[in-house]
Amino acid sequence: MVFPKYVKVRQERFGAVVFDTLKEKVFVSNPTGADILRLLGEEKSIGDICDELSRSYDGNPAQLKVEVNNFVDELRKRELFII
Amino acid sequence: MNKAQGIIDELEDISITGSNVEDFESPLFIAWQLNSACNLDCLHCCEEAGHKMPDELSREEAIDFCRQIIDLKIPYAAISGGEPMLCPHFFELAEVFTSNGISLKVETNGMFIGDKEAKRFAKLGMRSIQISVDGATAETHEVMRKRGDFRKSLDACKLLIENGVNTEIVFVPTKFNIHEIGKAIDMAYTLGVYGFYTGKIMRIGRAAQNWDLLCPTDEQYAEAFEVLKAKQVQYDGKMKVYYYPYDVVDELKYRLHHPAASLLVIPNGKVKLIGPLPFLCGDLRRQTLKDIWQRYKKAWKEKAVIDFTNRVINDPQLLCESNRWVDLYPE
Repeated sequence: MVFPKYVKVRQERFGAVVFDTLKEKVFVSNPTGADILRLLGEEKSIGDICDELSRSYDGNPAQLKVEVNNFVDELRKRELFII
Repeated sequence: MNKAQGIIDELEDISITGSNVEDFESPLFIAWQLNSACNLDCLHCCEEAGHKMPDELSREEAIDFCRQIIDLKIPYAAISGGEPMLCPHFFELAEVFTSNGISLKVETNGMFIGDKEAKRFAKLGMRSIQISVDGATAETHEVMRKRGDFRKSLDACKLLIENGVNTEIVFVPTKFNIHEIGKAIDMAYTLGVYGFYTGKIMRIGRAAQNWDLLCPTDEQYAEAFEVLKAKQVQYDGKMKVYYYPYDVVDELKYRLHHPAASLLVIPNGKVKLIGPLPFLCGDLRRQTLKDIWQRYKKAWKEKAVIDFTNRVINDPQLLCESNRWVDLYPE
């Protein structure tokens, strides 16, 4: 699981920016998305990401897992992440 | 509350870099006009390029600028000119970018790309090289690109593609070539380029001086955009056919309220707000890139900028002043 070569992720105060420099399209995420993006960049598995986030965020772990999977799926559909 | 909820909603496509420029800690994109020297004398050159500026950044200053781009984690840079391959340290700078993970696009006329250069580009692993090809025939290309060589530009594309370099063609429509736009797209596809980019000619620099000679009529544009739409469908999934439908005035109307998260650096290290306006907001010899970014954000709110931009919107002839620089913050 990797970011394509020309997809660049940068952490920002508001969260993160994902820049597909090949398509010249910019996306932004909130701080939770930024955490997921950071952990994806560290090549963590979805399971590890959920474990790590569940220690930082309140809420139902099962729901968190759904949200993380949806987020990663959204990245994949936009060709911002390769699984 | 589970903060993870809603993250997808906030992953939004803002399409054009920096619709919320205030939020970004540094630019997302640097457009760098590396030098002013050019071997051609194009009728439509935005930069009025030709001769070297006397005060262009030195090699050391240019490398320092690259380092600042890397330190600020700016993801994407484009090097243009003049003709950037005439700059003796061009490849060295390109290497600094790509070896530090920055996506790099180079905009060139392709006249200095032989097999050796194509192989060198291939090793760099750049995002792309954009070659200017302004016609489907030598006659049209060379009437606009004085001293240009259509065959050499196409050969450059072929060599780059053979060596696995992501190659794009840029086509500026004018009265001379707009009728060939469909054929030019077909030719680009035959060459195997990644993308074909076009849009309305920008009324700045030498293009502004030659405006009546160059600018297509509304009818010609309408016909060309119909061709482009059809070609987009024809090459969907095979080659990117991209056209920007707005002109400089439309762009300025938008940018006045939504500045791009990008900086335009000219060969002497001064930083422009945007190509069509004359305003400078910084100087790499006097400020750090980080400081210039803050100046840039402030500059778009300056009365002088807002007033002049509105005047340009009402009187596009003022675009002729785009290269007569006005320093917003003289020291």
